[in-house]
Amino acid sequence: MSVAVHGVGTSLFGKQPDETLVGLAHRAVSEALADAGVDDPDALDAVYVGTVFGAPGVAPRVLHALGITRAPILCVENACASGTSAYHEAHEAIRSGRFERVLALGLEQMTALFDGAIHPEASDPEGRSGLALPSLYALAASRHMAVYGTTPQQLAAVAVKNRRHAGGNPRAQRRTPVSLEEVLASRPIADPLTLLQCCPIADGAAAALLAPARGGSREVRVRSSALRSGGLWDHRSPHVFGFELARDTARLACERAGVAPRELDVLEVHDAFTIGEIVTTEALGLCAPGEGGGLVESGRTSLGGRQPVNPSGGLLSRGHPLGATGLAQIAEIVWQLRGEAAGRQVEGARLGLVETLGGGVAGIDGNACVVTVLER
Amino acid sequence: MSPQPDPRPRIVQEEGACRVAGQRCVACRHPLAYAAPRCPVCRGALADARFGPDGEVFAATIVRVPIPGRTPPWGLAYVDLDDGPRILAHYAPERGVLPVGARVRLRAASREGDPTVALAP
Repeated sequence: MSVAVHGVGTSLFGKQPDETLVGLAHRAVSEALADAGVDDPDALDAVYVGTVFGAPGVAPRVLHALGITRAPILCVENACASGTSAYHEAHEAIRSGRFERVLALGLEQMTALFDGAIHPEASDPEGRSGLALPSLYALAASRHMAVYGTTPQQLAAVAVKNRRHAGGNPRAQRRTPVSLEEVLASRPIADPLTLLQCCPIADGAAAALLAPARGGSREVRVRSSALRSGGLWDHRSPHVFGFELARDTARLACERAGVAPRELDVLEVHDAFTIGEIVTTEALGLCAPGEGGGLVESGRTSLGGRQPVNPSGGLLSRGHPLGATGLAQIAEIVWQLRGEAAGRQVEGARLGLVETLGGGVAGIDGNACVVTVLER
Repeated sequence: MSPQPDPRPRIVQEEGACRVAGQRCVACRHPLAYAAPRCPVCRGALADARFGPDGEVFAATIVRVPIPGRTPPWGLAYVDLDDGPRILAHYAPERGVLPVGARVRLRAASREGDPTVALAP
């Protein structure tokens, strides 16, 4: 069974302390259902919800207020990959014939919980030792710089590029352009990462309606979707955290789709921190390991380049309400492939990819990674 | 409510040196700093083992933002202990970020209970 995304929608992203979770979800779900031409919420066979910090019962509490009741609701927590995990499971449920019309919804309200970095988890050995997520990526950056000679300027170039892209995305949290010097001079968070190299916490929701592909003119076909969790990551690995998991998940997704990385026209990847995009572009096979810094400097991954990465502005500029992020990435690629991404459109984009990687558990290479290839 | 068990590696002082009191697989020799019921690599049985005191910095940073219960700055490094596991250790941030590849030695756990390293003499 071939599956397609028939509609997508998102709330605004950003710090929205006066907005309720129901309000955020309402914007995302209404837009996605209208986009798919579904006017009766009762027509849904199931809802998969991705959220990390949602309170117990958050999914039915939000959905019943939108008139979505009775259909089974399944809640997924996979750290930063929660939204794309919900999407992946929705896709698999349709592909295997279990359900026909499935809503995937990502939700997160973070401003009520955190002022700065997400608090590390005290039941985790590294979390208990104070390893907040910026420091995990800072450690990766230090290793990447030492092994490959990646420079602070190359790290900062990711933030500059993605902020420039966000100027064309009215739903992004940070839209004002920044210079390389401003990025490097911003407040240090965890060396070598500075404030403008870290995604902001945010409130937001995003949704997608998936169903069998019918050949409709606006549907975006799912060529493949892959979900993996990390292998053991310990003294045997010469690679930075997340590289092997992203590489292996991407290989699986590209193999299932029959697509080579060089064929991709547009990508939305997990850039919670600048080093994340550099490592991910290497893991996806856009360049060799160690060449991710040079890749961003080359302009190939900028809008106007051959393979734009994060035309939405990425997590760095759109903001990162964890559970919502994956579905916002899906929405961006759907808009790009339909030619509806005014202000940041990748001309003639036909083949797109989304990658999200969630971390925070010591001893493994990531809690989960999702890679999906979309086509129109 | 009872407090959660401390999941961090346990540091002991033996024969004049600080070591990680961990476990090693009796079948494949995989070293573990964290408590586990079986070897995660081959499912073999585990026996108590000591690791350290010396190792090499795999990656390092200095954290400059607060989290609950901690005041910045503090140094964090992944350290590959010789013939042992990779652990997350703290270090004093005053002399800057530890270089990748530097030789370090385990110290007594910090007041907060964190494994701690310093440049090897």
